[in-house]
Amino acid sequence: MKPEDIGEMWFEYEGTPLKWHYPIGLLFDLHASHTALPWSITVHFKDFPEKDLLHCPSNSVIEAHFMSSIKEADALKHKGQVINEMQKKDHKQLWMGLQNDKFDQFWAINRKLMEYPAEEGGFRYIPFRIYQTVSERPFIQKLFRPITAEGQPHTLIDLLKEVSPFAVSQGGGEKKYQVVIHGIEPMLETPVQWLSEHLSYPDNFLHISVIPISTD
Amino acid sequence: MDYDSCNTDLHLGEKTFQLSCHNFIQHSKAIGDGWVWESIEATNEGYMKKVLLKMKNAFGYTIPEQQKIVNEKTYRQEFEVQDTMDLEEIDISSIDLSGREMIRFEYHVVYSSSYQVPVLYFRACDIDGRPLTLEEIWQSVQENYKERLLEGPWETITQQEHPLLGQPFFILHPCRTHELMTPILKGAREEKQSVNYITAWLSMMGPVLGLNLPISYTTATSAQQLD
Repeated sequence: MKPEDIGEMWFEYEGTPLKWHYPIGLLFDLHASHTALPWSITVHFKDFPEKDLLHCPSNSVIEAHFMSSIKEADALKHKGQVINEMQKKDHKQLWMGLQNDKFDQFWAINRKLMEYPAEEGGFRYIPFRIYQTVSERPFIQKLFRPITAEGQPHTLIDLLKEVSPFAVSQGGGEKKYQVVIHGIEPMLETPVQWLSEHLSYPDNFLHISVIPISTD
Repeated sequence: MDYDSCNTDLHLGEKTFQLSCHNFIQHSKAIGDGWVWESIEATNEGYMKKVLLKMKNAFGYTIPEQQKIVNEKTYRQEFEVQDTMDLEEIDISSIDLSGREMIRFEYHVVYSSSYQVPVLYFRACDIDGRPLTLEEIWQSVQENYKERLLEGPWETITQQEHPLLGQPFFILHPCRTHELMTPILKGAREEKQSVNYITAWLSMMGPVLGLNLPISYTTATSAQQLD
């Protein structure tokens, strides 16, 4: 291609433009979970799909999106108190640790976002998003407490029944969907507080995919 | 599960958000201001929407002189467009716009459960359906608001995915909204006046993006009882 013909880069898989602001693992679970790795995607340098994808003119846009998710997750977990009490350099360390694949650097700050007062038993609300490709709606996100008023832990199936009941089979019927996080199906009895602490993505959200079971 | 019981800290629960929007829309219908409620299929969720058509001339964006407010309905009447046609599919080449460019602005009021505030999403496209870039939208921001916007308390306008539609929109970031709304709500409470959150909030955020609220909203929506 001639330099003057090169527009903004974007990625696509089987006709679907891939949202760069979603974690790559989530995109794979959602669009290609039944295929083998490595995942083959197409890179484009022209005809940017304006109606489908956000623009990504620079690295700082990615950093801004990441930090925005971190802040939103903390708003849910701690009313934003933990992230707001941190200094700018701590926010920067979080991003740089992720960007440069330095886990210890990342975790030094992120572990503070995973703490909660002992008497509470968990976070205020769980940061999560449930994705599916059946409808136009990109994801479902609602307020959901990890612990009941009586002090009992809510589990993954409690979350699904409350927020996306279509994902769970009704009354012992055939299972139609897989509920996937990081490419695996966690047991439905897993407490959501535990999932939030251990299976969140770097942006502190649980990105959950609901995938139709292939009938092959 | 209902988490709307946080009245003490003046947060906006989702139920109150929806009721406030419906009261707001009632008045909008009465004055032909073009706001509608869009429901999300098979859920009890939705958002408020308004489409505004503006002409661009050398001095920026103006609403056509013939009408104070052009909404989709009056546009269809004026240009004799059938109801079944999607505005974006219309061939406007036969319509004399006198060399002026027509831009379609779309505003959505969407509830954020994370911040428990409404968020203003917006986008614009030209007559060919081409979305406007941030720079082009920036040009449409009223001149006297540009400085105010840059100084904050708003964060700058950013592009975000619409949480219900999945398409790119621009937003004014919501994390400071609560800070801005609290004095208004507290003041009203002290005066023992009821205030429609959406009216108060949109009066504050709207003008920056070329969305103006006639004063009648304030009197009409605060007089209504929330069930």
